Order: sequence, then C-alpha cells, then structure tokens
Amino acid sequence: MVGKPQHITIAFDVMGSDHGPAEVVRGAAQLSLESPHIHALLVGDRPVIDEALAGIKHNGERISVHHAGDYVGMDEKPGEALARKPESSVAVAARLVAEGEAHALVSAGNTGAGVLACKRHFQLIPGVRRAALATVYPTRGVRGAKQDPFSLILDVGATVEATAEDLVAFAVMGSAYARIISRNERPKVALLSNGVEPQKGPPRVVEAHQRLSQMAGLNFTGNVEGIDIPRGTVDVIVTDGFVGNVCLKMLEGVHDTVMELAQYAYKESLRWRAGLAMLSSGIERLKDITDWEQYGGAPILGFDRIFIKAHGRSRARAIANAGKVAAKAVANELGTAIQEGLAK
Amino acid sequence: MSLPDRIDPRPPRRIYRWDLDKTYLQTDFESLRDLFRTAFQKAHEKVAVPGASALIRELAEQGDSRLCIVSGSPKQMRAVLEEKLKLDGVQWDEFVLKDNVGNLLRGRFRALRGQVGYKLPAILESRVNAPVEAEEVLFGDDAEADAFIYSLYADLIAGRVDERVLTQVLEAGGVYPDDAARVHEAWKKIPIADPVRRIFIHLDRLTPPAHFTPYGPRVVPIFNYFQAALVLLADGHLTAPQVLKIAVEMVQTAGHNIITLSNSFQDLLRRGLPLQQAAIALSQAMEGPNALLKAMRPVPDILAAFSKRLAALGTQPPPPRVQAVDYVSLISHALPRTHKGRTLKPQT
Repeated sequence: MVGKPQHITIAFDVMGSDHGPAEVVRGAAQLSLESPHIHALLVGDRPVIDEALAGIKHNGERISVHHAGDYVGMDEKPGEALARKPESSVAVAARLVAEGEAHALVSAGNTGAGVLACKRHFQLIPGVRRAALATVYPTRGVRGAKQDPFSLILDVGATVEATAEDLVAFAVMGSAYARIISRNERPKVALLSNGVEPQKGPPRVVEAHQRLSQMAGLNFTGNVEGIDIPRGTVDVIVTDGFVGNVCLKMLEGVHDTVMELAQYAYKESLRWRAGLAMLSSGIERLKDITDWEQYGGAPILGFDRIFIKAHGRSRARAIANAGKVAAKAVANELGTAIQEGLAK
Repeated sequence: MSLPDRIDPRPPRRIYRWDLDKTYLQTDFESLRDLFRTAFQKAHEKVAVPGASALIRELAEQGDSRLCIVSGSPKQMRAVLEEKLKLDGVQWDEFVLKDNVGNLLRGRFRALRGQVGYKLPAILESRVNAPVEAEEVLFGDDAEADAFIYSLYADLIAGRVDERVLTQVLEAGGVYPDDAARVHEAWKKIPIADPVRRIFIHLDRLTPPAHFTPYGPRVVPIFNYFQAALVLLADGHLTAPQVLKIAVEMVQTAGHNIITLSNSFQDLLRRGLPLQQAAIALSQAMEGPNALLKAMRPVPDILAAFSKRLAALGTQPPPPRVQAVDYVSLISHALPRTHKGRTLKPQT
C-alpha cells in the first residue's frame, strides 16, 4: 500500500481522449496552476505534448513528461491492443505508477485497456478478489460536507459475474471512496435488487445481504430497487458488473431521450418553446447538478494504486478535476481505508 | 598618487543586467492596493524570488563582473531597495531607478507606464563605458517588456537593427523625443560587438514559453533561477558546485524539492537546450561527501531523479532555431499591458 506522500504525482495517459492529447495536456496544465502539492507526469508522444504545453499557461516546476510512442485507440480490443503495443501510453503510465514514479493514474482513453493495464501492473488489495469500476450518477439528494449530488454505483462493468464475497468487497470499497471523496462520514450503502426485502434477489445477493448486515463500521441500509438510483435514496449502490452496466446505459439512454424530447418540443411549437424558456433557469440549475465534469472521473477500486477513469469526452476542466480526485484518494490513503474496512 | 599606489578595479569581463520587480523581488502591483502596500513595505518585508540572491552572489564570485540594475521602481524607493539588497548580501555597481515624479511634473504621462523609453536609453548609456569584449547576460520578467527591450538592445549593439527600424519601434512604442534622442546618441557611441549571450525571462505571470519564440534561442523563459543556473553552467558562467549551492538555497528557503528541480531540468531539455554536459558536471560535483547536499536529500536520489527525467524523453529534441527578430511586428509586446494594441497570445 502506498503511504501518505507530501507531494503527489499523478500520471496522465495523454493519448486516449476523444478530444486529442492537447485537451489532456491543458487539464494537467490547469492542475499545475491550481494545486501546488500535485505534480503531473504526462505520458504520451513527447513532441505532441511539448507543442501543446509550450503554448499554454502552466507551471513547469510541477510537470514532467515521459515519452510513449504508441497508444490504444477507443475502438481497439484492449487485450489484443496491449499485447501488440506494450509501449502504449496507458501501459507505460500504469507501469510508472507501479514503479513508484507516480502515485495514481488518470486516463480518458479506452476503459478496457486502462483496467487491463492496471491488472497487469498493480496488485489487488488483500481481501479483494476482483476490482470494481465505479461511476457517479446525479441524483435528487445531496450528500456529505461537499453537498455532493452524486451517488456512487459499483460495479458497472469490470467484474461481470460477482460472487457474494465480491459484492461485500464492493460495498466496503464504495463506502471508503464516498467517505474520502465526498467527505460523507457515514455513507448509506445498499444492494441493488428486485425488492427491498432481504430475501429478494439471486442467491449471491441474498448471501451478500446477510454478510453486510453483520458488518461493523459499514452503514448498510439493505436493498434498493432501480427506482432508488435517480432518487438518491442511498449514497452507494452495490451490484455486479453486468447489472450495473445495464443500469448505467439505461440511465444514460433516458437522459439522452429526455434531451431529445426537449429539443423536439423546442422546434415543434411556439407555446412549448415559451414554456421551455420559462423553465430555463431551472434547466440551467439541473445542468449544474448533473455536470459530470466537476466530478472528474470514475475510480477503478480494488487495486493498491489509484486509477481514475475520466470520461472519453473530458475537457480540460474534467481532466484537472480527475487529477484532484486521484490526489485526494492518494492523500487520504484510500487503499488503506478499504483494507481496514474489509478487516472489520 | 604614484602609479603603483593606484588600485583600479579590473575591467569587467562580464556584465549582468537585472530588472528588480518580479525579476529579483516578488512584487505585486496588479491593483492600487498592491501598489500602495509595495510602496510602504520595509526592506525586511520585501521577499526576493527564490534563488535570485544566491545566483547573483555566485555570479559575482569570480570578481570580474559588474551588476547593473535598472528598475521601474520610483527613485523615492532607493533607500529601502538598497537596504534590501544589502540584507541579501547583494553588491551592485549601477542602480538606476525611474524618475516617476519628474515624469509626472513634466506631464509625461506615457512615460509613467512605458518601459522602452526608460530602460533602452538607460542600458545603452551604461554600455557606452563598458569594454568592447565584456559579455552580457540580462535578467527580466514577463510582466513588462523586458524580452523585447533586452533583445532590441542586444541586436542594436550587434548592428543587426538599422536606424529605420529603431525609429519605427521608438515611434510605435510611444517614446518621447528626448528619450529617443538619448537612445540614438548612446547607440552611436557604442562600438559594434555582439556581447549579449543570454536573456532570461522569469515567468512571474506564467506566460506560455512559446510567447517568447519570436525572440529566438537567446531568450530563455525560466520558471525559477535553478533553470537560469543550469543554462549559465552550460554557458560557462557558473561551475557545477555553484549551481548546487543555488539549488540548496532554493530547497532550504523556498520549499523547492527534488521533484520541482528535476522537473525544471527536464523542462529545459524539452525545449532543446543542450544541457547534457551540464548534467554530467552536476553528477560529478555530487560525488564525494558534501554537507550542503545532505540538506536536500541523499545524493543517489538526486542523481536518480535527474537521470529519470533525462531518460524519460527518449531522443533529445533539436535546439531552437536562430532567427532574425522582427521588432516592428512585435512592438505590441513592448506596450504597457493596458494598451489596446497589446496582445499576449502565444506565438509559434
């Protein structure tokens, strides 16, 4: 486990973002101006990074570059791509974190390649059998000292078939993450099921419920249903990667459909347009609440090192925020918190 | 006095010209409040930029250099500024301050903020009496027009700028006729030579380094004075142990650490500055017991940090291209920041 460092270095996989390397470099540059204790290690094509860096405001004392001549594209198969490209930016960045050159990894690139690179270079925390990909989802409620409107859902795809033991580990990891990042002292943790009763759900969920109910130090509130996700009934929702991914994609689909309907309404009739205009301040507020860029990215939990997966569409602000989230997880020793949680 | 009794100072082999605010001193004058506070600060309250005083002291070590300070601070601040320099152990040969009260009384309002009409004649007049062979290194910052003025000064005395361009620049820079006349007069007295080796620009405002690309590789934007020391080591102005002393002072007094120093080293390498020999000299200087270095970290850690930053880059990028500076098109860099014509977009 990584101890609490005085200065935190975050490795950024510069090459994978939808908006190209310059956007990730801009994010790291922004971080170098805003956070004196965080250093950025930019991993990617050096000439490209240098060109991007030379033209933007940054603090050269807090940025270094590690050349990696290759990268994994968004549409490539992770396993094959990493085997073919051992010097890809995400693989090199993960290796540098494992070697202690940086404390955490941020990537906006191919999620599968990021998870696989971590699996190859990082160690699982003792007591964790499988890593979990967590995501944040905007809800009606707010939580923690930061008045965070996001709840955490895990796993959303890293471990497709989770056992009861895995679900318990996910609950502990999610709770530790919410406590540290959202500054939520006693995050409410629940299992996603097809009913709130303890006996509802497949055997692994029922068994996990029994075990979580007996765990000290965890604020386990029982089962929740799908409808509770957008309501924000709880702070951490635990499920396996298959169900979590289906839920996430459905929620994203609903969001997109609502936006399309609003656009349709805007074009269709003057009366509806006027109605939307009257609601504009409310819509703006809703945009603020659901602004995922302020959250930075989603963590891969379970490894001894921190990996924050930033959205592929991340702009500089989101990348900088992902760096801050990663640094916060390092500074507060997330790995140690998870290990202690599992021991209870 | 008989001839053997006279002790004349040796003619300077090197001249170091410094600006003061934001180059040597950490000064805020962004708002009226900052300006007021700066004006009434006592000498011991003023803070030097980390490593600046150590660098000046090390550059003076050989005893054959001159330190010439030309600052935009008003003449009324002379006593407190001199006291601050003395507190820092800095000895100077020339110290020119701006006559802002005089400008105000004479209604020369452009001169209050303008830098070209103030600094260019001041440094040209200073050069008139210098030996032709004396090399120069200049230190400025990105808050004012230092890169422009220093480069113009260097190219004027090297004969690379003609009278027509100079006149155009002085007119576009809003220089008053008497200051322009001083520029022409001093310039004509200086024998043609090419003495300016480096112009360091302290990035107080963190202006993107590419903004200075049009000035060519002679101008080196720096985030800190460790970077200046590394370049001066490569240029033969400092020895490796002297660079280490500067680094140690920055670590001990300003919270710098092995990460910030090694990142600074790599930043220069990425910009194509040829520092490989300097790195070797530093490594050799670190061999053997050195009490100063113990203040930083164990020597192997320092070497490893620097080696890693060097190795991380793969092949060394080509050095920056030498080019003629187009002063007429860069005149906006020399105008005060509030001027409408001023643009600070990075240029490539």
